[in-house]
Amino acid sequence: MPAESETSLPAILRTLTAHRVEFIVVGGVSAVLQGAPLITFDLDVVHSRAPENLQRLLAALAELDAHYRAQPERRLVPAKSRLETGGRQLLTTRYGPLDLLGEIGSGHGYDDLLQDAVDLELAPGVRVHALGLRRLIEVKRETAGEKDLAVLPVLERTLEESQRVRDARVEVGPGGPPNSPRSGR
Amino acid sequence: MEPASPQPEETLSDGRPAIAPDGVDLTLIRWMLSLTPAQRLQVLDQNIRSIERLRACRIRD
Repeated sequence: MPAESETSLPAILRTLTAHRVEFIVVGGVSAVLQGAPLITFDLDVVHSRAPENLQRLLAALAELDAHYRAQPERRLVPAKSRLETGGRQLLTTRYGPLDLLGEIGSGHGYDDLLQDAVDLELAPGVRVHALGLRRLIEVKRETAGEKDLAVLPVLERTLEESQRVRDARVEVGPGGPPNSPRSGR
Repeated sequence: MEPASPQPEETLSDGRPAIAPDGVDLTLIRWMLSLTPAQRLQVLDQNIRSIERLRACRIRD
């Protein structure tokens, strides 16, 4: 186990998935997972507020030693009643900052966002949902805070480039380009 | 006077400028897209740790 001060985003995600928490990675980490060259220091997730999921989430938070980071010396742990709301819980864990969001943008919760999430494998047996870039851009435009607007150009160019890469793959096909070693010609 | 044509190191392989008109570096995006999601997360994690170590050095100074 890493030292308490050492950040490990994969470790937070592994813990959440190990407890079968239903969540969607949003924000900067979601963008990075889909190819955006950004730096972000906290992991933002929108969690399902279904009662059984909140129980699993509380168990995961206990393992992560999660507590509110506004007053770390008091080690206030999030209560179930807070996780039921659409609000933002700014936590710190043994592996770094974790923001739990009931809703993002103009009131979008887990069930709404799930249809626009992509399923990504981070390690064998560790799969997470991340909010797709197109929807992420829409939500950031809704929020339109200075911090959100600052990263929009990077997200928009990443969406364009990923589309170009996908289109190129479709044009070339699974065997690779003509006369390439993989094409078998 | 015509503007100088871009040098090879300033263009992507498809001829587009490496830097988008809004200033975004497309080479970094292309590089990130060449990685798997797990590798992208690893890059972010390593960058965060590097910055944390640099911050710690500054505090010690």
